[in-house]
Amino acid sequence: MKLLKWFSFRGKGDKSIARKQQFIAQKISRRYCFSAVSFFALQSVVALLGSLDLVIPDLPSPIPFEFGRAIHLGLADLWPLIGTMGMVFFFTTAELNREIYSPRLARWQYWIVMLFSVSIFGTLALRIGNGREFLEGMPIFYVGICLALALASYNLIRTLLTDKRNITPASATMTVGIIFLFLLLLPNTITYRNPITDEVTKFWVVHLWEEMAFELTSAGFIATFYVVSGLAPRAQVEKWLYLEASMAVVGGFYGTGHHYYWIGFPAVWLAVGSLVSVVEVIPVGMLAIMTYKGLKSVKVRSNREKLTLWLLLSSVFYHLTGASLLGLFITIPWVNLYMHGTYVTSGHAHLALFGSLGFVVLAGCYYILSRGSEPTLKGYKRGVLAVCLLNGGLITMASALLVAGFMETYFWRILGMDFMEVRLLINPYLIMRVLGGAMFTLGNLLLSWRIFKAWQTTKYKK
Amino acid sequence: MKLRTFLILSILSFGLFVGVTLISARLPFPMTEQALAGKLVWQRHNCVSCHTLFGNGGYVGDDLTHVATKETPAYLINYLVQPPVMRPNKLAHHPALNEMDAVNLVHYLEFVQTIPTLGWPPQREKAEKDS
Ligand code: HEM
Ligand code: HEM
Repeated sequence: MKLLKWFSFRGKGDKSIARKQQFIAQKISRRYCFSAVSFFALQSVVALLGSLDLVIPDLPSPIPFEFGRAIHLGLADLWPLIGTMGMVFFFTTAELNREIYSPRLARWQYWIVMLFSVSIFGTLALRIGNGREFLEGMPIFYVGICLALALASYNLIRTLLTDKRNITPASATMTVGIIFLFLLLLPNTITYRNPITDEVTKFWVVHLWEEMAFELTSAGFIATFYVVSGLAPRAQVEKWLYLEASMAVVGGFYGTGHHYYWIGFPAVWLAVGSLVSVVEVIPVGMLAIMTYKGLKSVKVRSNREKLTLWLLLSSVFYHLTGASLLGLFITIPWVNLYMHGTYVTSGHAHLALFGSLGFVVLAGCYYILSRGSEPTLKGYKRGVLAVCLLNGGLITMASALLVAGFMETYFWRILGMDFMEVRLLINPYLIMRVLGGAMFTLGNLLLSWRIFKAWQTTKYKK
Repeated sequence: MKLRTFLILSILSFGLFVGVTLISARLPFPMTEQALAGKLVWQRHNCVSCHTLFGNGGYVGDDLTHVATKETPAYLINYLVQPPVMRPNKLAHHPALNEMDAVNLVHYLEFVQTIPTLGWPPQREKAEKDS
């Protein structure tokens, strides 16, 4: 395999610094990314079995559907989290061009987040859980995840403070993202009597992690990647980043209102949620414009960067469509009144959570794990095939869910038909979802294999 | 825009948001101990994987936010203690609860339906109009 010279991130003013050695934090970030990709592969397999369970009557299964779904949702939060931790360490050192404050803490953090994540999945498989959607594990395990996030926040803050005059917007944005991940998970480590508080704090993870904190960490990564690959000049990226980040924060927080509509909250949230949600989509538009401009002007890239770009472009696509446009549509209170709690939500959830966040994290993980190698032409083509399968699978799956959801909306919500009758009507679409899921799983395993190969070739170097 | 502005904006948004959320999350009535026990039964058995409350949860079963207005407590308890076969399965039953858990759970569902949901779900109004 052709070995390209190490290229490093350009410092301020676009000058290239050729560097021979890798920072320790960047080495450590590899294990985060590797674990994230492994969990992702596991997730598809679990999910595919779960979706089969829904369409094959009396399918025997060692783990009942209600706990299998919990594992699927737990994985959906946790693998992007683990991958993001790795990406933030990697790209922070790259941006600042120095080591993080404590690589040792970063190593500890890895073992802590892995221990508690595996504990969550293991206990759920044994049917022990706390039954709050997306956070089904026992609360004590989320204390562990919080601990890992607290360590990450401390480490990153100390890193930035070591040289206060050289804080780049991308590194600051990523750090704030990690701090928010910590602060928003914290209320989920205790139990509440009040079921409304339960719903609310859950959405601080389901909504605010995904649509705010992860937006910040991803924005930092995308900004760094665009600068490095020449897609956008550093000055331009830095000019907009804080503005984008501020909109993501304000829009993200008050946009949570769209989850507060029907859970026992005052009606004012209908207005707040729907109006502020518009702010949420502005940064996405800015990102898309920047990408478009960059792609028009820059042509030559290595295959490694191209494959990363395919993953990133997929993300930008779903960010615009499945997350923002569809999200905005179902945010309209009159629409949400009828579509809330139908498969439409599930369609949006898959398009947005995997489509926009999952693809970004995969892009970052691939980029990090393949650093120092260049895929062969065959390897690159297989990588592209994997991305196509993932996209095809996701679109098939999500379209099936959306059709099922629209049927539920019409027959169940509007006409008032019996739930179970409608459920039998939408069965063909749930079967189509399984087919989409199978295609997705295939793409997933193929991509994971490519990433694994890249990891292997770069494992012993440096 | 400067880092400082971004940080101040973030902290202010966060503080204000947490404040107004907590004020909005007040319960209309206090919850009884039995309803609380029922809430824990709901959580322990992961009912949310298949059913929604307030429309949030799984899609396999019907929404249960207002089930206590549609069915009698006796029917619900019996359903949970001696669960029927679930369509379209021929063998698999709905998960079963013991009598005490079932009673507590029904108390919880009776409590949940007192939480005002601003007219959601829409078909409930229709059902009420029909009757
Ligand atoms: C990266 C971006 C996004 C991600 C990862 C994401 C993820 C999700 C997920 C996982 C759910 C399901 C929650 C549940 O099952 O309870 C959801 C629901 C929802 N999302 Fe998003 N979303 C994103 C962007 C957006 C945007 C930009 C909007 C609107 C402007 C939006 C509006 C909504 C609404 C209204 C719901 C609730 C649907 C219902 O009533 O059941 N989302 N989102
Ligand atoms: C092979 C691919 C996949 C299949 C077959 C699949 C299948 C499923 C199934 C069966 C459910 C439960 C729906 C129900 O209760 O009826 C579900 C829910 C969910 N899945 Fe997946 N899934 C896949 C991939 C993913 C990925 C990659 C992610 C994100 C990283 C994801 C995120 C979610 C979320 C957030 C929900 C909850 C949706 C909601 O409550 O609205 N899924 N999925």
